[in-house]
Amino acid sequence: MKLLRAEHKRLLKALYGAEGEDYGRVLEAISLLLETSVLPHSKEFDEAAGGIAPGRRALFDQGICRLAFPSAEGTSLPFGVYAMAMELVASADAPTAMSIGIHNTVAEGVFRFGNDDQRKRVFTDLVEGRRLGAFALTEPSSGSDARAMKTTAVKNGSNYTLDGSKMFITNAGDADIYLVFAASAKGHSAFIVDKSTPGLSVGKDIPKLGMRGSRTAEVRFSDCSVPAGNLVGKEGEAFEYVKFLLSGSRIVMGSICVGIALTAYRKALEYSKQRSLFNGELSELQMTREKIADMRTELSSSRLLCAYASRLKDAGVDFSSEAAQAKVAATESAVRVCDRAIQLFGGYGYTDPDVHRHWRDARLLTIGEGASEVLRMLIAGKELAETR
Amino acid sequence: MSGKAPLRIIVCLKHAVDESELRVDASGHPILQGAQARMSAFDRNAVEEGVSIKEKAGGTVTALSLGTEDVRKSIKEALAMGCDRAILVNSSKYLDALATSYYLARAVQRAAPYDLMICSEGASDTYDGLVGPMLAQWLDLPFMGYVRRTELRGDGSLQCELAMEESVEVVEARFPSVISVVSEINSPRYPTLLQIMQASKKPIEEFPLDSLAPGPGEAAAPEAAVRVLDTTAQSMSRKKILFEGSPEESASKLLEALKSEGVL
Repeated sequence: MKLLRAEHKRLLKALYGAEGEDYGRVLEAISLLLETSVLPHSKEFDEAAGGIAPGRRALFDQGICRLAFPSAEGTSLPFGVYAMAMELVASADAPTAMSIGIHNTVAEGVFRFGNDDQRKRVFTDLVEGRRLGAFALTEPSSGSDARAMKTTAVKNGSNYTLDGSKMFITNAGDADIYLVFAASAKGHSAFIVDKSTPGLSVGKDIPKLGMRGSRTAEVRFSDCSVPAGNLVGKEGEAFEYVKFLLSGSRIVMGSICVGIALTAYRKALEYSKQRSLFNGELSELQMTREKIADMRTELSSSRLLCAYASRLKDAGVDFSSEAAQAKVAATESAVRVCDRAIQLFGGYGYTDPDVHRHWRDARLLTIGEGASEVLRMLIAGKELAETR
Repeated sequence: MSGKAPLRIIVCLKHAVDESELRVDASGHPILQGAQARMSAFDRNAVEEGVSIKEKAGGTVTALSLGTEDVRKSIKEALAMGCDRAILVNSSKYLDALATSYYLARAVQRAAPYDLMICSEGASDTYDGLVGPMLAQWLDLPFMGYVRRTELRGDGSLQCELAMEESVEVVEARFPSVISVVSEINSPRYPTLLQIMQASKKPIEEFPLDSLAPGPGEAAAPEAAVRVLDTTAQSMSRKKILFEGSPEESASKLLEALKSEGVL
């Protein structure tokens, strides 16, 4: 299955004109790698609940993380190209995309809010994919209400001591670097914590409905001492960092959902042309055509919202509401598209993991990286504030 | 060239219809309208071999192709894979292997000096396998075909293993020479995304076809000697026999059927 399609190239041309062709070549190379090294194994990742590391390594070696950051030579790509790359990765395998997306959020945290030493010491390794990152924000008793975090960071001379627990951490166990958020004397603060730091421990892998190829676990901190040099940005200001980082990440998660839905849609579309019933094809029935049209329309509109939020991010203006809208629209529509795909496959859709895994993968993302309810609070809050 | 001088390598490549995406119409004719094209799959092996030799021995690799503006896509891929220069012979005319190899040879002479020209065993669309040997003929150079391994010798020659149908032949020739490589010679690299972006900034020299035409007193350029009149997909009829029963019963029925067909 070819992942980069004419629809992607048309959008690149519409958004970026002549430069869209160069971006198309970048995405073509990613697609080629995905088609040979990731896509053929995606079903196994779901069945065996793991196994994405080699494909992730190949994508890191190819330079996928670099897409989101300016190069040493100053070359930088629009964020929308990175988002489309993540859509393609998710089309091949959603948990691989999820893992890379979270890793890059950690890299962006260090790049944007870290100091020169941290950028040199940590960001370089993250962006080259030499070390894997995990974003440690959610806790067992606080997800959407992240401010209520109970993990503490107490300053002891030239160190901070972390105590507490972080829950549902993507890449936990595989990660080399944890970007940990904790309550300190001045407010919420962020720390770079190396996996080998005494006092850091990772729980068992948590079984999941979907996204089973990537690892998810609890990460605990017990009398875990990190050097003050690992404090990212200013003490007490990390919640502002979280808001910025999650806004960018929401565009990526929306794009991942477009990719998931696109694969489910293509499978259903092909099946509708092969399945015979009532002396014809499934695709000839009016109700099937309604589903095909609705799936296609939802996919395209979600992708455009992600592209719009990406352009706003590149323009340096507030994009938090549009990113939230993109994520709400893309994740919820992906669940609907994948559900319709199951419906078109009928009994085979309900029983074949290679069909229903897309619904299971998409289902995570109306919850993770900002639940739909919280994002609606954000969108409505901004709307009301602007009209007062 | 001496054994230690940097090598000047030219790799020929074709921007060809992506056969994996090609569809045929009801009459079996390929639908070329809107068909995607990319660097011929075997040519990626040729580029890889050129870049690998350069990395070992030093030197430069020039990607050379002939065709319309669309060919730039494949040339940029070759640049991303590590080629240093690129030349596009602009032509919108239909050229067969004889005429193509003639103009490529003229372009090579203009781009001289050179030590080694690398082609692939054949293009993934037509698979004639003619341009490499014809290029050598036009340039009056030694040719080694179906190369599956190369080894640079210190005396300014190249030793090659040739994958023959039932044997392997080891041959060598002094530079300059022309080789055509088979796909088993290497695994083409995936350029990093940064290399792809950098390649888009590398210049591509253009040689208009007319500028390569023979001058006064030179023999006339060959016209296309072979014209493709028709192309249809081969149809393969399947027997579509279904064996019913338990797996054991189906297996024995399958065995019997294979025996009666003379397969076993």
